[in-house]
Amino acid sequence: MISRTNRPFIRAAASRAPWAAAVLAACAILAPTITAQTAATTPTATKTSTPAHKRVAADTAAPGAPVKTIGNRNAPITMEVFSDYQCPSCGSFYENTLRSMIKDYVSEGKVYLVHHDYPLQMHTYSGQAARWANAAAMIGQFQDVDAALFDSQAKWPVDGNIEKYVAGAISPANFKRVQGILKGCTGPPPTSRADRSLPQVDPGCPVDTYIVQDIVLGNQVPVSATPTFIIHYKGQSYPASSGIITWPILKQFFDTLLSQ
Amino acid sequence: MTRNETRENLARTLLLLGRLALAAIFLFAAYAKLKPQAAMPWSGSSIRTSLSLFAMQVDSYQLLPPQLVSPAAHFLPPFELFLGLWLLSGVLLRYASLMTTLLLGAFFAVMVRTYMAGLEINCGCFGPGERLGPLTLLRDGSLLALALAVTIGAFMQGRKTRTESAPVTSVSAPQRAD
Repeated sequence: MISRTNRPFIRAAASRAPWAAAVLAACAILAPTITAQTAATTPTATKTSTPAHKRVAADTAAPGAPVKTIGNRNAPITMEVFSDYQCPSCGSFYENTLRSMIKDYVSEGKVYLVHHDYPLQMHTYSGQAARWANAAAMIGQFQDVDAALFDSQAKWPVDGNIEKYVAGAISPANFKRVQGILKGCTGPPPTSRADRSLPQVDPGCPVDTYIVQDIVLGNQVPVSATPTFIIHYKGQSYPASSGIITWPILKQFFDTLLSQ
Repeated sequence: MTRNETRENLARTLLLLGRLALAAIFLFAAYAKLKPQAAMPWSGSSIRTSLSLFAMQVDSYQLLPPQLVSPAAHFLPPFELFLGLWLLSGVLLRYASLMTTLLLGAFFAVMVRTYMAGLEINCGCFGPGERLGPLTLLRDGSLLALALAVTIGAFMQGRKTRTESAPVTSVSAPQRAD
């Protein structure tokens, strides 16, 4: 009799399948453990994000500190974004999502946007761009310079001539003030590091301290890619998300929060 | 007990363990996506918020157009819950495990594509906050292999059951032909 179950291949597979299944079952049993470990880190990240936001809110109140926020501080939703001016995803996130959000929800007082600098070491000019943004923020010109840096993201990284695009975004008088703030910035700008160690600060550069503060906050989240954002609503923080989220989907999340 | 019987018992036990492991993983995955975030109590509103948060993770894969992201995000967690319960019940295991394999295969393909594209996003596999990386790929690859093994085991067991329960005349027919 020729039976299909008597074929050598089937027989061999049948005899080995239980052992293969045993190994795979062990992997599967380990999977929730790994997941549980990962999930266990999430509340920590969420917890650390709340002080980050509160600390920034306090810093912005200090005289002379850069105000890197857009909108009404009393808006029901606060969104903290850790961003790098030279990162393409950050540029895309700004142009396709944040711009619409600022127009539709920030201007209507629904969302308070908090920018954090997280310049990555791999980007040559992102630290320098962060310096320009912080200097502009010190004189209340953050929103225009922030937009200009992202709008021209394909241009200034070619030769590092950030100045030209900042000059085009604000009045000549304000540009002179920004230039004055950055006069003593001769050393390399601070950038985040893969080992999360603290970058060096140029003692002559008044904005470096604020960039490092943001990097420290980002390391607490922890930010491992840009853009990373955290949303706060009614005193609660939602887990950090990273990557490009389109405006319709982000808006839907905001609407769900606001309808609670 | 003969050696064949021992082997069959072992295979049955492993199939049961594999099925239960897959069921537990799917139930946990659905729970992690539906559970309230930010210290909210369980309610319709908290589930809607969790699904909206999951929609952001689906969106970050940059695979679906925005109009399909939300339906996909609202469909997947309940479907995972359904699959988990189906696997747990053991009813029509061949089809349940086949569907599980296909779903895990699709997840794995999307994750590999995203990882290869260099997108640094959250996996969204077991709720928010988990980064997509080599470890998540290894884990989901193992789950896919387990689902495949359970599917093969379920089909082999199903075939064996059919052969054993088939009428004698139908078994003897090929003998006459030989």
